[in-house]
Amino acid sequence: MLAEIGWFALVMAFGLSVYATLGGAWGGARGRPALVASARNACLLVFPFLTISVGALVYSLLRLDFSLAYVADVSSRAMSNFLRVTALWGGQQGSLLFWAWLMSAYLAAVMLRRWDGDRDQLPYVIAVATLTMAFFVGVVLFISNPFARLWHNPMTQEIVSAVFRPAGGMPYAAQDGGGLNPLLRHFGMIGHPPTTYLGFTGFVVPYAFGIAALLTGKAGDDAWIRSTRRWTLFAWAFLSLGLILGGRWAYDVLGWGGFWGWDPVENAMLMPWLTATAFLHSVMIQERRGMLKIWNLILIVLTYALALFGTFITRTGVVGSVHAFARSALGPAFFVFIGVTFLGSMGVLFRRWKDLRGEHELESAVSREGVFLLQNLLFLAITFAVFWGTVFPLLSELATGTKITVGPPYFKQVTGPLFAGLLFLMGFAPLIAWRKQGLRTLGKAAVVPVLGSLAVAAIWGWAHRMHPASIFALWMVSLVLLLVLYEFWKGIQARVRSHGEPPWTAALRLVGRNRRRYGGYVVHLGVLMIALGFVGDTYFKQETQGTLAAGERLTIGEYSLEFQDLQSYPGSDGREIVEASARLYRGDKQVADLHPRRDFFVVQEQPVTVPAVYSTFEQDVYVLLVGWEPIGFQSTTFKIYLNPLINWAWLGGGVLIVGVLIAGWPTRATASELTYQLRPRLARTPAVGGG
Amino acid sequence: MADSIPSATPRPEAMDRPVLGTLARPLAYVLMLGLLGLLAWGLAQVNAGPHQAGLAPDFTLTGYDGRTVTLSELRGQVVVVNFWASWCPPCREEAAYLERTWRRYQAQGVVFLGVDWVDTQKEALAYIDEFDITYLNGPDIGTRIAQAYRIRGVPETFFVAKNGELRGVHIGPLSPPQLDDKIEGLLAEDPDA
Repeated sequence: MLAEIGWFALVMAFGLSVYATLGGAWGGARGRPALVASARNACLLVFPFLTISVGALVYSLLRLDFSLAYVADVSSRAMSNFLRVTALWGGQQGSLLFWAWLMSAYLAAVMLRRWDGDRDQLPYVIAVATLTMAFFVGVVLFISNPFARLWHNPMTQEIVSAVFRPAGGMPYAAQDGGGLNPLLRHFGMIGHPPTTYLGFTGFVVPYAFGIAALLTGKAGDDAWIRSTRRWTLFAWAFLSLGLILGGRWAYDVLGWGGFWGWDPVENAMLMPWLTATAFLHSVMIQERRGMLKIWNLILIVLTYALALFGTFITRTGVVGSVHAFARSALGPAFFVFIGVTFLGSMGVLFRRWKDLRGEHELESAVSREGVFLLQNLLFLAITFAVFWGTVFPLLSELATGTKITVGPPYFKQVTGPLFAGLLFLMGFAPLIAWRKQGLRTLGKAAVVPVLGSLAVAAIWGWAHRMHPASIFALWMVSLVLLLVLYEFWKGIQARVRSHGEPPWTAALRLVGRNRRRYGGYVVHLGVLMIALGFVGDTYFKQETQGTLAAGERLTIGEYSLEFQDLQSYPGSDGREIVEASARLYRGDKQVADLHPRRDFFVVQEQPVTVPAVYSTFEQDVYVLLVGWEPIGFQSTTFKIYLNPLINWAWLGGGVLIVGVLIAGWPTRATASELTYQLRPRLARTPAVGGG
Repeated sequence: MADSIPSATPRPEAMDRPVLGTLARPLAYVLMLGLLGLLAWGLAQVNAGPHQAGLAPDFTLTGYDGRTVTLSELRGQVVVVNFWASWCPPCREEAAYLERTWRRYQAQGVVFLGVDWVDTQKEALAYIDEFDITYLNGPDIGTRIAQAYRIRGVPETFFVAKNGELRGVHIGPLSPPQLDDKIEGLLAEDPDA
């Protein structure tokens, strides 16, 4: 019954999306405000209906309605309620519904915002956004439906899944479900997919505004950028969070001691993040000087296109990876939608190319504009390099018949220097003036940070002579750190001098009055900390492996691990656990009791290695239980990774989010923009030039 | 000051140079269509799925120790074809089990073939040494064997019956008693079936 309600709500959502698309397009083209208002209402209603669908599915997952194929696939009696709820996005059909639901939430919020300033954009924003909505809801409804039931055919003894009863089929309910893939039964399940999806789906908003601006000939104006700034920041923040949580999750469960593997699906998330980051910066130039308009539109279209591309390759497995979804008819439908979106966006962009002429020329390469242009180029270069590496296996297989896989060495070698260049820019850009920066003044401003960082690098180099590349990396990080801190110091000094405030008050007021700038600097600090984590991972990682009898020790760096004993016992949700007890010593002092485990999920026949980690600011000691004697549990094999500086990456993620909150937090000035209203005011005159 | 408000030097209207060359647009479309074509082709490949039934694709494997074996010459015997790589952590989980099982069933004529996928010789030999693997392991030159079997990653293990037909694939590491069960089932088959 509930599944039927959920299914019907999907049908309504689909119908409303299609209506909104057509109504918005027609209403905009023919100047029919009433039709546009109706389309807006339709768009608004998609969210409540999808909420009903999601609610129905979650309830079925919790109550273990095994007559539903999806529930039988991802839920099981052994799973806790927490896991059953997260199973909503544990499989293809449910995660698609989840995606559509989040997107509809964004669209509902956009429909409720104040449209007085840009009412002429509304029809096209609706049309573009609901076209995407219609696609995703359509895919859920017609191809990958989570409400499909199980049917048993007594003649052929087959069990099939279908929304409607097939000929000769009898309703069937499984005894128990397959349950989530063991790798997904982790706390990370509540964090990574929702934040990633919130990131991906959120970019439909600035994209729709960008296309609407192109269609209405307003792309040369920066109104669309100002309208969507917080939306873009919001989506970007969640995408960043999704990346960080994904890395953390991989670190916890995949057992190879790393957090970023340049896996195609990781790259699929990284690419839109890169272009979105470039976009967030580059729009500042359009707002100030009316330049880089073409860049900004290309960047937002690319971001959205790469988000779609990302979900396409993840769900269809066109490029193989750790994230394996089952194959289905999804591929062709997605492919058509991607084709239409890419080609359509290109077409609109080219038609309105002339609108995007810059208002000013670039007067000097050494200028704020020049630096931002350079950052665009660097981000785009990295995106292209990552894209090339990701699709290269496909290309090589097509061209030569041999699938050449591209691994981390390529990505690291190509993107490493480009990222270093970006870090460098991150530090220097605030020092560089608009239009033209004199090199001598730049030098004078930068002298303290440069000397300070050289000192740090020299001390480091003297202490760690065997890693020359790391000296450069650490010099860069400390240089940029000092430059960013210098910005804060300058601002605080200025306030102390002009307002006579004590330093702490000055600091708070400084940040409070210039949230965008200083929030941005805090984000940069977060990025630096993440960079430090990467430096540790790239240059200073150590590993060792050994077999120990009880009481024996394995040494790595200044740590040693002493094996105590091995236990085997059944765990919750159908797993058999083999757990080792070991003591970690730093020199002679015991610092931790570690319990690395191997969980074996009996039903899925899949083992999951659970590492035991001792974390400090300096490094992680990451211990894996690799093997043991099956009889007697006498000797046990451990693998230990020493991951220096890795916790800076996670902390950096936290700092980054704080920075985004500061940058995006509404001030009293913006409060009036944020008034929401349910009933739109119909334009009294034909919608040109805004209300 | 780093942030002086700029005075306007607007571009004069007369300077109306073409923003895009005449070739740029068609080129952009061509590249885009090329990308879409590539994705379409990739999709078609994926939808074909791993080989699971029918005659097992034939291949000749040259081992690291110099021995050569051709699959079709092993007709009449049960063959286990395991795709692995030294850089693959899940492969390590099944390596010892594979070797043990090979030794146990060797006398009954079961053949184990290890196909090393996208790997380097030095690391591969170290891996073989580490797990004391005695059955034939060789590199998949040009990934031809992997592509014939349409594997999506490692480890994947294919089971070939006595009559040369594929009897399914196991994706991921094998744990006891999966391999034993599968081999017992295949041994029980009549070779002329």
